[in-house]
Amino acid sequence: MDSRLESQAMEMQAQEMGMTRTPLLSVRDLRVHFPFKRGSIFNRKHGVIRAVDGVSFDVYPGETFGLVGESGCGKSTLARAILNLIPPTSGSVRFDGTEIAGLGEGAMRPFRRDMQMIFQDPFASLNPRMTVGAIVGEPMKIFNLHDRSRRKLEVMRLLDMVGLNPRYLNRYPHEFSGGQRQRIGVARALAVQPRLIICDEPVSALDVSIQAQVINLLMDLQKELNLAYVFIAHDLSVVRHISDRVGVMYLGRIVEVADRQSLYENPKHPYTKALLSAVPIPDPKLERTRERIMLSGEVPSPEQIYPGCPFADRCPIAEPDCLEAPPALEGDLHQVACIRAG
Amino acid sequence: MSENILQVDELAVEFKTDDGIVKAVDGVSFALDRGETLGIVGESGSGKSVTNLAIMGLIPQPPGRVTAGRALLKGEDLLQMSTRQLTKVRGNRIAMIFQDPMTSLNPFLSIADQLTEVTRIHLKLSYEKSLTRAIEMLERVGIADPGRRVHDYPHQFSGGMRQRVMIAMALLCKPEVLIADEPTTALDVTIQAQILELMHELQETEGTAIILITHDLGVIASVCHRVGVMYAGKFVEKADVDGLYEHPQHPYTLGLMESIARLDEEATARLTPIVGQPPDLAHLPPGCAFRPRCPYAVDRCAAEEPPLADGPHGGQHACFVDVSTAERKEVVDG
Repeated sequence: MDSRLESQAMEMQAQEMGMTRTPLLSVRDLRVHFPFKRGSIFNRKHGVIRAVDGVSFDVYPGETFGLVGESGCGKSTLARAILNLIPPTSGSVRFDGTEIAGLGEGAMRPFRRDMQMIFQDPFASLNPRMTVGAIVGEPMKIFNLHDRSRRKLEVMRLLDMVGLNPRYLNRYPHEFSGGQRQRIGVARALAVQPRLIICDEPVSALDVSIQAQVINLLMDLQKELNLAYVFIAHDLSVVRHISDRVGVMYLGRIVEVADRQSLYENPKHPYTKALLSAVPIPDPKLERTRERIMLSGEVPSPEQIYPGCPFADRCPIAEPDCLEAPPALEGDLHQVACIRAG
Repeated sequence: MSENILQVDELAVEFKTDDGIVKAVDGVSFALDRGETLGIVGESGSGKSVTNLAIMGLIPQPPGRVTAGRALLKGEDLLQMSTRQLTKVRGNRIAMIFQDPMTSLNPFLSIADQLTEVTRIHLKLSYEKSLTRAIEMLERVGIADPGRRVHDYPHQFSGGMRQRVMIAMALLCKPEVLIADEPTTALDVTIQAQILELMHELQETEGTAIILITHDLGVIASVCHRVGVMYAGKFVEKADVDGLYEHPQHPYTLGLMESIARLDEEATARLTPIVGQPPDLAHLPPGCAFRPRCPYAVDRCAAEEPPLADGPHGGQHACFVDVSTAERKEVVDG
């Protein structure tokens, strides 16, 4: 069969034998800064928006790394920077040991097969003029996989795999509901047998009853194909359900990262605590007695430069020394960037 | 003790579409008391927004048409009112806040212009008085430095702040009923918590009756007193909030509760989704609209439509089957 399937099998074997795992994706001190100019030519202000500001994390084969944070925290920019869709300002992104940050279009190409993406809006991310067969088949065509007739069979196999009737091959996206379109997006991502899929809010545009279908599908496929996911979402319950490890972002930085259980049951950063306490739980009796940590104000602008902790001005436990130096992400397995964490 | 403010009976709304006539709302009834929050939960196309647009007289006609029912605001039927009469009621006795605070504020007018207009028209206040009122209201909804910010334009506010401005605008005339259509869906959780808290506070002090439309079962649980679950233009279950979460009676309600990932439960390996796709209102099956997706359906469900009837726990639901004892079957996705 395929050599990549073989290497995946070997990886799985290595894991079972308890060998040290090597990360599939390794992000180190990644920064994406957008310079801007504002004002009239006589009164021009120059500045920099620090959308992603020194992010580091690892994703292992077959694992889901969840990224949560509020709008504007830089999670989507981070996803695009990992895939080199937005050139990073500095830092390193290694895929399977090879540095890919800042690679040109051509040099990046072989990695595009390994790293695919699923987008939030299943209405905007499928070309309305292409049939489902053409949409799912296009990545194979680009990478010259299979001849024409084999490609058609492959597309049908993929449609079946994501729970769509393979006979829908010649239909157009508008003939499908939101949940079905998201399945088409998943099939397209799988077409070139990637090892990593970056899912940017893959269920937030779907109806509640449909979200569970897509989440289950993603989890089943992961098990079957040993896929690694970077799962970006603002819904903390969904991220908890699907992730092995979770990172919490605030103003372009990861402020806490841990395995799912430690993060949700024993959050250490005051921002993570506030986020978790703000999620309404579908149990009216519990809700009546629950204490909420109310954060004042809103996420500040990422153009500002913070000498200390960027969360300090909204933080319920901040002290003057929080403003002195930016806290580093510290810890072994449960890492947190706060000098009063606990 | 409880004082009825709004009584909606057998409301029906149709839309003319390319696929024929679609019954977006089909026989919806509910009552709302002073100081009460009614939650309406349902998926896209379930008719929850259309119900409330009809009450406000905001259904575009054509293609829409209110075909039956009444909506009594303290005994006066809103559906029979002339546009002129409605204009006096809307924004004054009934106010509405929408999901997207950007599209519901006029980007060309300052906040001051938009807020003072309301009280100048409805309460015939002078500009100075209405400006003072607007500034007071902005302060109450938690906008810092309201005396200066009132002269800003919508784009100078963030999403959460805009939603606060919308709430301030809706509450300027101390309405008896506030309809909030997905007021926090576009907001982040920490901001959502602030807005829900604010609505709750205002209800406590003013006694406003609130209709909260949402798809989020967590939001319903944290702020509502009673809940109606809509599916394909009808209420399939109505109950007080504790009853609904403790003893969901309709298979759709049960399905919704089971399909969501929850923070307060073990992260289990699999979620239990509702099979199939949301209903296509132009091609509803005969009998119960939920039957094609229902794991409890029996033969009778295809022939007859179940009426909304009293259940064992004080609520009402529209189902022939008792979900606590019935056999659960595998539904095959067609």
